[in-house]
Amino acid sequence: MSRDSQNEAADSVLIRRLYHFFEPYKYWALLAVILTLSAAFLGTIRPKLTQIAVDDHIATGDVEGLTWIVILLGLALVGEFIILIFNTYITRWFGQGVLFKLRNAVFEKIQSLHVQFFDKNPIGRLITRTTSDIEALSELLSDGVVNMIGDLFRIFFILYFMLMMSWELTLISILVLPVLFYSTFWFKSRVRVAFLHVRDQIARLNSFIQEHINGISVVQLFNREETEKQKFRSINQDHTDAHVKTIFYFSIFWPIVEVLASLAMALVVWYGGARALMDQVTFGVLLAFIQYVRQFFNPIRGLSEKYNTLQSALASSERIFNVLDTKNEVYEAALPVKPKKIRGEVEFQNVSFRYNADQEMILNDVSFTAEPGELLAIVGATGSGKTTLINLMMRFYDIHEGRIMLDGTDVRDYSLRDLRKNFGLVLQDNALFSGTVMDNITLGNPEISREEVIQAAREVEADRFIRRLPGKYDYVLRERGDSLSMGQRQLICFVRAMVYDPKILILDEATSSVDSETEELVSRACERMMRGRTSIVIAHRLSTIQGADKILVMHKGLIRETGSHKELVRRKDGIYRKLYELQYKEQAVITG
Amino acid sequence: MNGNLNEATQSFVFRKKQTDLNHLRKLNRYFSKYKGSVLLGMLFLTASNFFLIWIPVLIRRTMDEVEMLGSSAENYGSLFTILFSSEAGAILAFNSLLLIGTVILYGVLLFATRQTLIVSSRKVEFDIRNDVIDKLLRLPQRYFASNRSGEIYIRTTEDVARVREYFGPVLMYTVNTITRAGFIIVMMLIVNRELTYWALLPLPFLSAFAYWVSGFINRYQLIIQEQYSKIAGKAQETFSSIRLIKAFNRSEHEQALFEKESDEYRKKKLKLDLIESLFHPTLNLLIGASVLIVIWKGGVMVMDGVITIGNIAEFVIYVAYLTWPVASLGYTVNVLQKSLASWERIDSLLTQPVDIETAADSDTVTRSVKGEIEFRNVGFKYPGSDEYALKGISLNIAPGSNVALVGRTGSGKTTLVNLIPRLFDPTEGEILLDGIPLKQWNLEQLRSAIGYVPQETFLFSSTIRENIAFGRADAKMDEVEKAAEQARLLENILDFEKKFDTMVGERGITLSGGQKQRTAIARAILKEPEIVILDDSLSAVDTKTEDEILNHLKKNLSGKTAIIISHRISTVKNADIIFYIQEGRIIESGTHSELIKKEERYFDMYQKQMLEQELQNI
Repeated sequence: MSRDSQNEAADSVLIRRLYHFFEPYKYWALLAVILTLSAAFLGTIRPKLTQIAVDDHIATGDVEGLTWIVILLGLALVGEFIILIFNTYITRWFGQGVLFKLRNAVFEKIQSLHVQFFDKNPIGRLITRTTSDIEALSELLSDGVVNMIGDLFRIFFILYFMLMMSWELTLISILVLPVLFYSTFWFKSRVRVAFLHVRDQIARLNSFIQEHINGISVVQLFNREETEKQKFRSINQDHTDAHVKTIFYFSIFWPIVEVLASLAMALVVWYGGARALMDQVTFGVLLAFIQYVRQFFNPIRGLSEKYNTLQSALASSERIFNVLDTKNEVYEAALPVKPKKIRGEVEFQNVSFRYNADQEMILNDVSFTAEPGELLAIVGATGSGKTTLINLMMRFYDIHEGRIMLDGTDVRDYSLRDLRKNFGLVLQDNALFSGTVMDNITLGNPEISREEVIQAAREVEADRFIRRLPGKYDYVLRERGDSLSMGQRQLICFVRAMVYDPKILILDEATSSVDSETEELVSRACERMMRGRTSIVIAHRLSTIQGADKILVMHKGLIRETGSHKELVRRKDGIYRKLYELQYKEQAVITG
Repeated sequence: MNGNLNEATQSFVFRKKQTDLNHLRKLNRYFSKYKGSVLLGMLFLTASNFFLIWIPVLIRRTMDEVEMLGSSAENYGSLFTILFSSEAGAILAFNSLLLIGTVILYGVLLFATRQTLIVSSRKVEFDIRNDVIDKLLRLPQRYFASNRSGEIYIRTTEDVARVREYFGPVLMYTVNTITRAGFIIVMMLIVNRELTYWALLPLPFLSAFAYWVSGFINRYQLIIQEQYSKIAGKAQETFSSIRLIKAFNRSEHEQALFEKESDEYRKKKLKLDLIESLFHPTLNLLIGASVLIVIWKGGVMVMDGVITIGNIAEFVIYVAYLTWPVASLGYTVNVLQKSLASWERIDSLLTQPVDIETAADSDTVTRSVKGEIEFRNVGFKYPGSDEYALKGISLNIAPGSNVALVGRTGSGKTTLVNLIPRLFDPTEGEILLDGIPLKQWNLEQLRSAIGYVPQETFLFSSTIRENIAFGRADAKMDEVEKAAEQARLLENILDFEKKFDTMVGERGITLSGGQKQRTAIARAILKEPEIVILDDSLSAVDTKTEDEILNHLKKNLSGKTAIIISHRISTVKNADIIFYIQEGRIIESGTHSELIKKEERYFDMYQKQMLEQELQNI
């Protein structure tokens, strides 16, 4: 990740945009800063109090005075404790609040985007945007910024108290700082390189292991156990070596920090001792400085670590805002038509479509009409454009040429909600969610009653098998409905389409083999569902095709033939006729 | 009755302790190789702490001496004369140089400690990981089928890393805490017994608190991890069904579900934060309390003339030096628990029986294979399953014959062929090769006689050449080329810039499905097997190329047994015999024309394919 100065302008924009999510908490943040300030003060005043205790009371034998100072010390200690806890908690509280809002906003945004966005971006990447990218901001938002401010305050107060007591000793004790800065800098740059190397080695090791667990049968079938073992040994060796190298840097750096802190103390004692002999520095001051020198090192180390956090947080927020800025390519009509009763007529007028300007046409000048109540079957090979027709009429994509009409009105003139609620969609992959059968049917719509669901299930004869499930309609499906057969899953999808009582039914018939008993059930269910509805079916079974009012034969984005079964069969050299003949010829030959 | 129960639990606890000890003993065996450097490291660490405590001692001595010199009421001139020419200056300089000397010694020893102790822990990690992989490569498929691959993966990665912490940080921190606390407490006691007790009073709480917090964090992080997965799972579910959600206008509902999980996450995270936010302030409070007590009690003692102000400074530094070792004690106990739990899991993998190895007691057959295979009433259940994946399979495959298996996905075809190279052993019945039970064959010999092309093509991320020569690392270039040619892959390879040295997989080019399958076929051909098994291995290859490959195979493998699983009629129709498998049983068998005449399952399948083919070819 190389982020240099030219990104700084962009970074400030990012910070401003992050602030927008932060805004509701700004008074809390102000409170947090004030609390941080007080905690820094209470934490750093304690050595000063010990100085007073030693010089003004212990040295003079004033027991009562000592007691008072100890009480003050105790109050400062407890005060800092309470403030720190409270402060840490509120910063985390609003930090999590901001993350919560941000996460929901990203999810909402992604969900609202056009379907093509999902085709272009792998699901894994989208999940990363809603989860780990948000998480990367967590450290920064929950206590990163506040701690940074706290560290600065601490440094400021320590310097203030030290200077108040003795400027000479202050200079002496910060003498080692340049060395500390230099060695921290040296260490950071080395360790970064070493860590990158370690990361590569870990990745190499892990992918070897992953690969060999997945390919274990190949290893064994080819008698390669011994060779692979040797190979692993060398990868493992590289991994160990990489770690040993970072251990080296750490074993230099930590002692250096310790030595520098002690060195600063030695310098204070040496110089301060001499000053004490001249009665210019008291023992109390020496004691206070010994404590300050140790306290001073922590915030400096802290600050250098926070810088890295900030860098990776900015990188994540850049990715997050990229998503939030994505333009939705399917937008709502400005003044949507309020539909009266929809009859269910779908018409394509000279529709052409391609995903990108530089790609091939997926649909080429396609026109057809599905009359209300009609059964329209679409036949064609994979990639001929069948599914695209469906995607377009439901506005998963928008067309640039031609028009698509529902009851004579352009689909883009309806609101998306009003448009889509007329369609009952059953997809080929029979997508089910984890949850109960009931939830899978209603999709969480509280307006659909249990009775309606059962009624719909009876209609497509799914009721019988659902009743046999443990828990019936409350049977909890595992992920993607694994525990059900393909046919059963399809029936549930049918019920789902039915309870929404759509005007237009869209079926992408599954090719997946279901056993013959369920197949019959599915066919019967299909027939029932189509009654009184416009149905558009991507057909894989000849039985559906034969019963269709209209058949479209598609090939490479073109409608090659249109007509009823009877018309198409009569057409000489027709594609459909050829298909049909093939099927029956085979049968005739074999039976004959 | 109650007593019995007590006894029972006691003996249970005892046994548990006993196995814990056994585990630990085994784990400690890994130390023996590095005994020298570990002992040396412990010595360095002890020595470094020995020098560390001289720092406060020297500071106290300086302060005391300054006090004495100061009270002698001598008049000192300029700062310069004091520092560099007076007797007092000599004392100061001597003490300071001594201080710097000890500090440097301390630093060097600390360096040496890390270089020995932590480095050894990495070496132990290396050894353990090698052992785990050795074992893993030999484990039977049964193990992989009954354990999720993610779990196995964690054994070799995270678990090993956790066990390393036992040899590294745990050991280092423990020795550090013991020696440092030991030295410091002794020095404190020498100065003043009473003040020592007072100063140490808050420290046990610190240890206990650190133990509690780190334990809570460990436990709670699992809960949070789970909730995190729920969020990711919800996002996955929604994003992958986006069409459906849009079609049914359910976006708001999905948003509500997501926000519920998101809020749950926030709440759980906040609870963890609450505990975490206690940690540093409490540490601060307890150490601060210790310093406060020292100033208070020590101050009174100074007034009474029992100790000096130098002693107070000394104690303040001691307390500071004790902070981390004492806090780390609590943390270490938790890490130790986790490493031991990880070790237990690793150990159970290492002691897993390898039950599919060649029977040691019988005479293992190593003679050359002819290729006659017989299944005698074979049944098979997957581990952990009650249902038969195969049942009552009896078939006879003559040497040199060409056999096809067809049937739906999940009908048991792959399971059947997996039994031949003994990836699994049948639960019932027996399989014979050349009339001899499989178990009596030398396993390596058996497997080298079989060229198996699995359904899911698995290539390793290395060069194409290495992948093809996977079964015969000694194969010459022209042999590799010939195998590639026979698998109709040579032309593709020569199109690549680096030819046979092209990397495939993650770090290289992505081969198409068909290219991958052909690579796997070349890999199997190069072995020159007596038996060829193709498990739906040509599905991503177009029909023309498929024909070419099959013809090649026929020519080159004449006289060799071939078992082909396929969904394509075109692939299987020329087989000597076709078996139709359904739900683990053979329900139809015969030649293509025999099965077509029967007009049953095979015929249905045939018909459907003809229609689809025609649609493709319009």
